[in-house]
Formats: sequence, C-alpha cells, structure tokens
Amino acid sequence: MRRSLLAIAVVLALPGVASAQTYPDPKDPGPVESAPKGPHKTYTVCAKKCDFKSIQKAVDKARAGDTVRVKNGTYREAVKVNGSKKRHLKLIGNPKDPSKVLLKARGSMQNGIFVNDADEVTVDGFMAQGYKSNGYFFTNLNGYTMNHLIAKQTGVYGLYAFNTIGGAILNSEAYYVNDGAFYIGQTPPQAKPIRSLVRNVSGWGSPLGFSATNMRYVTITKSRFFNNALGIAPNALDAEKYPPAEDNVITDNDIFWNNFNYHQGKPPFAPRDSGTAALAPVGTGILLFGGRGNVIENNRIYGNYLAGVAAVEAILVEKTPEARTLANNVVKGNQFGLNGTDVNGVDIAYDGNGTNNCFLSAGVNSTFPADGSTFAGCGNQSNVFSKAAQDTMLGWVGEGAMKAWNKHPHPPKAGLEPLEIFGS
Amino acid sequence: MGAGSQSTRRSFFGAAGSAALLCTIGGEKVSVDSPRALRKADLAAARVGRPRGATAAQAILPIQPAPGGVRKEYWIQAETARLAITPGRRDDWHNRAVEGGRNVFTAFVYREMTTGFAEYKYGPSIPGPRLTAEVGDVIVVHFRNGDTKLSQAVTMHPHGVRYNPEYDGAYLGEYTRAGGFIAPGETFTYQWECTPDSVGVWPYHDHGPNHTLNTFRGLFGSIVVRPRGAKWPDRMHTLFAHQLPPPVTGLDRTFHCFNGRAYAGSTPTLGARVGEDVEFHAIGMDSNFHTFHIHGHRWRNAAGAFIDNPTFGPNETVTARFVEDNPGRWLYHCHVFSHQDAGMAGWYVVDP
Repeated sequence: MRRSLLAIAVVLALPGVASAQTYPDPKDPGPVESAPKGPHKTYTVCAKKCDFKSIQKAVDKARAGDTVRVKNGTYREAVKVNGSKKRHLKLIGNPKDPSKVLLKARGSMQNGIFVNDADEVTVDGFMAQGYKSNGYFFTNLNGYTMNHLIAKQTGVYGLYAFNTIGGAILNSEAYYVNDGAFYIGQTPPQAKPIRSLVRNVSGWGSPLGFSATNMRYVTITKSRFFNNALGIAPNALDAEKYPPAEDNVITDNDIFWNNFNYHQGKPPFAPRDSGTAALAPVGTGILLFGGRGNVIENNRIYGNYLAGVAAVEAILVEKTPEARTLANNVVKGNQFGLNGTDVNGVDIAYDGNGTNNCFLSAGVNSTFPADGSTFAGCGNQSNVFSKAAQDTMLGWVGEGAMKAWNKHPHPPKAGLEPLEIFGS
Repeated sequence: MGAGSQSTRRSFFGAAGSAALLCTIGGEKVSVDSPRALRKADLAAARVGRPRGATAAQAILPIQPAPGGVRKEYWIQAETARLAITPGRRDDWHNRAVEGGRNVFTAFVYREMTTGFAEYKYGPSIPGPRLTAEVGDVIVVHFRNGDTKLSQAVTMHPHGVRYNPEYDGAYLGEYTRAGGFIAPGETFTYQWECTPDSVGVWPYHDHGPNHTLNTFRGLFGSIVVRPRGAKWPDRMHTLFAHQLPPPVTGLDRTFHCFNGRAYAGSTPTLGARVGEDVEFHAIGMDSNFHTFHIHGHRWRNAAGAFIDNPTFGPNETVTARFVEDNPGRWLYHCHVFSHQDAGMAGWYVVDP
C-alpha cells in the first residue's frame, strides 16, 4: 500500500493542476498595503445603461479603493484584479441573491474572479459556474474578503485562497467541484500570526468539502460540510510550500454524510485520478493528515461511514521530515453520531503518530483501533504509535475506505438527500 | 473652543484632583492633558517600530500543566469601543441627574471570544474577562490586537502568575520580546503558569508602547488563582477602581469609576443571597489610592483583624470574603470622599 501511495506522491510533486501554468508565481504577500486615499468612485456594470457592459472593463478603469457594482445578469468573462493599484477594490454583485449575478465560463476560461497581489479586495454577491480552474482564486494577498459567493462545477476549487495572510470567507456555498469546494492553502508562517475566518459556508457534493494543504491560522466555524467524499482535510504536502497545516481551529460546524463515492457512477464533474482528491478516504468527516496545533472542538459530526475524525502521519512529506508528524492537536467536546441515531464508522481513528495529541474521550463512542491503545489523554502522556494501525489506515485511501465502512440509513433531514453515488 | 468651556473644564480638573498623564511613548514624552494631546500620543504610539527582538517566531510548544492541572484556554481580542460611563445619566444614590454633559467615550477593551476568535462572547465592557485557574494549571491566552482605529501595538501583561520573558507582555524598547509588541491584526499566544505562589487575585493590563494611556482607557482585567481543589465562592464580584479623566475621554469632566461606570445605578449593582459564600475583589487601576467599603459588612484581613474599609493602591488587590448574613440594600464605595462624590459608588443588594 505504501508503494502505491508513494506513486501518488510523485504525481503530487509535479505542478498539481492541469491549469497551473496560468497561475502567477507565489511571492511574499508582505505587509498589508496602505489604504488608498479618497475620493473613491463607483462604477456600474450591466447590459444597458450602466458605465460598463463588462466587469473587466470596469475593473480596469477602477483605481485602488473604488467600487464596481454589477447588476443582475449573466456575464461570460473571467475577471482579473491584478496588482496593488487595485488594492481595497470592492466588487459588489447581489449579496442578497448571488445567483442573480452569474459568471458563466465560456471556452477555456480559468477563474471566475482572480485576485492577485491586491490587498484587502472585497468580492461580494456572485455566482461562478463552469470555470476550468476555480470559481474565485485569491493569491499573494495580505487581507481579503469573499462574501455571499456561490461556486458550482468549477474545475479544481470553488473558493480558493492561496499564499495569503489573513482574510475572510463568509456566507458562501460551493458544490460539484472536482477537488475541494473550499481551499485555503500554503499560508506563510508568521511570528505574530494574522488569523483568517471562514464562517457560515456550505461545501458539499465534492471530493473534499474543505481542503487545507499547509493551511495556517484559520478558524472554520458555523459551517456545513456534507455529502463529500471527505469533509475537511487539514493536510501536509511537499507539493506546496510551508508544510504542515498548523494552528487552525474547527469549531461549531456540522460535518455529516461525507460518503460521496465520486469514483463510481457519473459525478457532475470530471473526476481526477490524482491529487489530494483521489487520496481522500471516502466516508470521513475530518482528516488530519499531519498537522500541528490544530483544534477540533464542539462540532457535530455524524453519519460518516468510515470515521468522524481521523488522524494519521503525513507520510507523503519527505523534504521536511519534521512536518510529517502530528503534534499538539486537540480533539475535544464534539458531538458524535447524532445521539446514536446516525453513527460514524468510528468516531475517532488515530495511528498514534507524533507527540502530545489530545483526544478527550467524552462524547466518543467508538475508536480505531478499537481498544483505543494509540490514544493518550491530554497532558504529559505520550501517544503510542502503532505501525499496524497506520498500515490499516493507509489502506483506506480513496475507495479503499469502503472495506471499513459501517453503512447504514440516515434519519431524514429536511431539504437534504444523502449523496453516495451520483447518477447511478 | 470658548473660554467658558475652558474654565468649566479646569474647574472640574480642580474639583476632581485630576492631572495630565505624563506618558513616555517609544522614547517620545507626551503630556496627555487635552484631546489634541491624546491624538498626539496615539500618533506617537503608531510610530513606534517593531523592536528587533519582538519579531522572533513564537515557540509553539505548549507548556504542560502540572499533574492534575489543565491548560485553560482563552481567546481575547483588544479593540476600541464607544462606551457610556453613566448610561442613565442618573445618580441613583442621591436621586439626581449626573452633571457634566456627555458621558460616552472611546474605550480600549479586552473582549473574550469563542474558540478561534469565531465570535464575541459578550458585549464590550470594562474590565476585560476574568481569567480563573487553579494551582498547576497553565493559563493560555490567544490574544489578538483587533483594533482598526488607533494603529498601535498592545499587549497583555499579567500579575501574579509565572512566565518567561516571552510571555511577559511588556514593551521594553530594544529588549522587547515576542509577546511585548502585538501590532493591529496580529495574534500572540501567552502561556502563564499558576504556581503555588500564584494564589490570589491579580490584575492584567496592557503594557505595550502606550500602556499608561491604554490602561486608563480600559485595557485591564483580573486573574483569580486558587489552590487546587479549594472551594470556590458562590459569588465573585470584581471591582476595578479607576478614573476616566478628560484628557483620556475628551469629555468635560472626570468620572471616578468602578468597572468603567460612575454613580450608583450605572456602576455594577451586585447581588447575593443570605447564606452564600461571597467574595469581593477591589483592584486599583489608576494613579490614586482608594479604599473599599461595603455598608453593613465586616470581614477579616490577612492578619486576621476585622475590617470594613481597607486601602489599596495602583494594581493592588484587596479581597473581602464572608458568608452573607445581612439582607438589605447596601452601598459599596471608595471612601476617598472626592472619589465617592465623583461617581465611585454602587449598590450591593442582598436578598433574604
């Protein structure tokens, strides 16, 4: 099994995504750029009787701190907001009903809205559909706001912040995305961290609800991740800089029914046979694949057929061995299994790797290994590594997870249907 | 500004015994004696550069508690807030209107948040949250400078607990360590150990480059440490005695406050029931000495003598603990008359 994983590692070490050549090189986001001085202008965009017909034309005209208001309608363009001359720009669609301001891809358009090197840009009230790469791609920034956004059937990620410091993703939804519905990755390590906030978002119907390779200082709260192959995955990989995922807080979320086996049937996106998505053990609520100082607390985690929370050594990390091991992570105060009516395969699974990882047993009804021998309490006790447990867990890659499933019917949930195989 | 308001202001200065705050901010001396000087002080604080020693990456290893202890984690954000000193503009004790015009000012406060800075737990208030622990615990404070207005570094500096220089939370010029300079937007995690000699009630406060002014504005709170397994009182009331003078608030007069409020009815109305084990903490948080007096009650000091009006100074705590046996509406106040009459008084209501 390890050999096949290493083969996948080789795939990951290459520039991950097909469309990567269109991405700018990552650079140091640096300190936040100064707020521009007014007076600021507002430009309108719509089909008739506005300042512009195209969003891009309005963005090109706008200066730092200006506002671009986009009226309801369908826009077939890929918007680029590039450089510090566009810092503090506000791009406002319809925050009350984002689906009315539709960005629809044509041809090989990569990103619905792409923000590079322009700090504190706000994008609020849009829906992006069908782009080859991402719905919203924000990179090389110090500070950003994504609010009231929808991404549907975008080619890699829905809402994506890469190599950024601080920021907020709020009140948004992403689904039928072929990798991670949401993704914050490669956060530069900081001596005095600036935290990011993800609140009230829904990620569903995708291989990963929230992917988080080498993500730092992020709080994910009051959000829902369901009907994915894997709910949330803070993970460490060499493919991006600064492994591992570190100092994140996942609290007060609903993480359920993540049993979407997109390897079967006809998923509403092109499934990928490489990358993180392919590795995702189907049926998992939260996976800590390596990581330090992450806190998973007060979430409701249920109906995930493999495991509620799984933690395993980041065995794919080779260049920075110190980033492989799990350290100082905390899993406590979560409600597992919806009062016994919608249990997880096991509530928590852990190979015992690393040091000082604290899993409080209150509320936990089942563990892997079943005797709980890899777990230690919180405090000075050491975790107990089990090679056998790790080997078993590594066998859960992708569809392999199904051999350990505890499959059962879910109690009904208003307005939601469980998604296991699409279009079968 | 007319001569009239000048003289009004000056007369209040005289009456309340207030004086300018002499602050040294990053090497600049500023006498904060007017709203203009206040802005000057804030600009000076915003100019203070990050000391070299304060850029060091944080040691991420968590300090482990002693056997039986826990890591008590708090998420606390510093930010400015507009607060009223006498929201009802009444002095409930004398049943009269409070003189002196406006009473809303820009405070600087510590606010407790839920895990991961996800949400506020409570509205803005003075003081900040009370941190509680037992001997053997480690108090872990994830601290964020969440202010967007004053553009200056702040910190949290604790009294009473044990810490290494990293977690001192003090700006020390070129000797500053990582925890002593938290710029706007940044986060720092302090770890404070509760050793046997930490038992007691202690203040914490800002000790950044502009600490005197920001502490006057409200950046302070309390830490309570008890022996492991000791009984906690049924009720704890913490009162900070401090003044809010015109140079800090921009208002026309000095208010002498408990917990950011002045005059009975606006200051905290504290409660208890007969038979309850009640503990009061009074902590000084300005440049004056105060006394703490509760009508109808006596308690023992550390030497075992009965008292009802102990004296305490800046950042000093007096603790009164007794089993409540005297129902009624009582006054608590500072017995320095000029403080008491400028607002430093409140109600303590004991139900039978």
